[in-house]
Amino acid sequence: MNNGHVIKLENVSKNYRRGSETVHAVQDVSLSVKQGEYVAVVGHSGSGKTTLMNIMGCLDRPSEGRVTVNGREIQDETEAGLTRLRGTSIGFVFQQFFLIPTLDVLENVSLPSLFTRRKLNGHARELLEMVGLGNRLHHLPGQLSGGEMQRVAIARSLINSPPILLADEPTGNLDSRNAETIMSIFEQLNQSGVSIVVVTHNPDIVNRCSRTVHIEDGKIKI
Amino acid sequence: MSFLKVALNNLRRNPVRSMLTGLSLAVSAATLTVVLSLDKGYSSAVTDDLVHKTGVHLYITKEGCPIEAASVIAQGGLSPLYVDENIVERLQAIPELDAVMPFKLFAVTTDDGSRTDIFMGVTDAIRDMKPDWRFESGGWFTSDDSVILGAEMARIEYLSVGDRMYTEHFDRELVVSGILGRNYSQDDGTFFLPLATAQAMVGREGKLSAVALKLKDISNMDAVQNRLRAMMPGDYFVIGSKELSDGILQFFGATRAIMFVMVVVAFIISVFGIINTMLMAVLERRREIAYLKCVGAGKYDLIRLISLETAAIAVAGSLFGALVGMMMSPVSGNLLRKFLIAYVPSGAISRPDMGIALTAFAVCTLIGVACSLYPAFRAAKIVPMEVLRNE
Repeated sequence: MNNGHVIKLENVSKNYRRGSETVHAVQDVSLSVKQGEYVAVVGHSGSGKTTLMNIMGCLDRPSEGRVTVNGREIQDETEAGLTRLRGTSIGFVFQQFFLIPTLDVLENVSLPSLFTRRKLNGHARELLEMVGLGNRLHHLPGQLSGGEMQRVAIARSLINSPPILLADEPTGNLDSRNAETIMSIFEQLNQSGVSIVVVTHNPDIVNRCSRTVHIEDGKIKI
Repeated sequence: MSFLKVALNNLRRNPVRSMLTGLSLAVSAATLTVVLSLDKGYSSAVTDDLVHKTGVHLYITKEGCPIEAASVIAQGGLSPLYVDENIVERLQAIPELDAVMPFKLFAVTTDDGSRTDIFMGVTDAIRDMKPDWRFESGGWFTSDDSVILGAEMARIEYLSVGDRMYTEHFDRELVVSGILGRNYSQDDGTFFLPLATAQAMVGREGKLSAVALKLKDISNMDAVQNRLRAMMPGDYFVIGSKELSDGILQFFGATRAIMFVMVVVAFIISVFGIINTMLMAVLERRREIAYLKCVGAGKYDLIRLISLETAAIAVAGSLFGALVGMMMSPVSGNLLRKFLIAYVPSGAISRPDMGIALTAFAVCTLIGVACSLYPAFRAAKIVPMEVLRNE
């Protein structure tokens, strides 16, 4: 760890090319997420929220600045090193669920452990119990509602017991009742010590977070 | 949870496409099995006929290239080249020779063009040459008009000993003196005539197609062959039965090349089919693959996953194809028999075996798996951030 910070961004910028134009998606951002913190990242479409989350999730490298995730600086990591770091330290939840349609719920949740070679010993079943899907273990994704699929996706993101959970619009595809269920699960996870960063437009989620980071034009708005 | 289970489950997403991809490999495996069976079978059948079953070690014929000599003898055509009968006595004086069999060979196509009958004029030296010849009924020639029938010819013509057989082409009536027992060689499909009768029928009195020789000791083959070459007129050709069969197999080379081209074409179609299918499968699942990379799937994990999917299709398709090829091989042998020009051997010309099936299975499986590499590398190179941002 880095003084209790599970994620630390120092003067991070990210530029990329779109045709002949250079897009400054993130500009000189410094941000820390402490262990056990629940942070909301908000901003308009195109403000740089997702780019910021990709950098925090080791899916992208900054053009400038330093990023430390779970005690490791990602600039100097190899691609394989970043893959390992993602597999062991970060859970991802997206607006789309990305479940494998031919695997049942239990298998979908177990899937990431295949790549980290972790023994599960019933962990997948426990996680599904936790998200309230203990009775749906052998259902296929096509037999589930949107809210249930997102709960499966959350259980899957936690299978390798990551200390960090990154969620990009996790309730974007859900009705208010299912969104409420997801928010409750996030709170429960946060209380158990998982650091959560959630990119969202949903004010209900923002209200439940311990801190909110506003992004505008790639910069943190104070 | 294992990579294999995930791979097999992925194939269930589009079962028709997976099945069609497997079938394209099955066609390749079946084609390869059939072609290898024919290749092996034809070579073995020709060698059996001309080297093992004839009892002939050497032929003396009019000089020409070995292929031409092979063609003349094998096709039974009326060659413009001929050997003078007066060399037979000189050959009979050679102590190393066990049997000297002069013969006149010609072929006649039936009026409706459906069949070519092979006539062979022989002397009783043929019985020294083929001591295992057995008569099923009747016996040796009893007159100049006698004919001995091979077992298959007797069956086709519904003839028995004593029956008369009219040859329209020569306007001559022959009497069946004997019917040979089946020996699964060229003999089964031949009409045997007294040598003088055969020569008269084609107007080549005193002329022979060739003289067949049997050695007392086959280890003397080279020495005897050299001695014969020295004593024969310069325009005579001394050819070993192995050279004869090799010559015929050279004729088969063109057919063989065409068959292997078919295999290559089948493989090319399969290869493009598999690459296309797996590439589509990868492109359709870009976001899923991107997510797998998010949660720790490394480059080699994804290559392994895609390769396993292809391997499963390849194993199933190749196994099915090799089995179908084994079953189709005898049928294809019979079909090929109708189109062969050079020489139609008497035995089975398609000889599938487990080695051939395993070879076809292994080759097709390896090709299938190799085809997965490009789509697998494409999957491994997916950048999650780009996919998740843009799609």
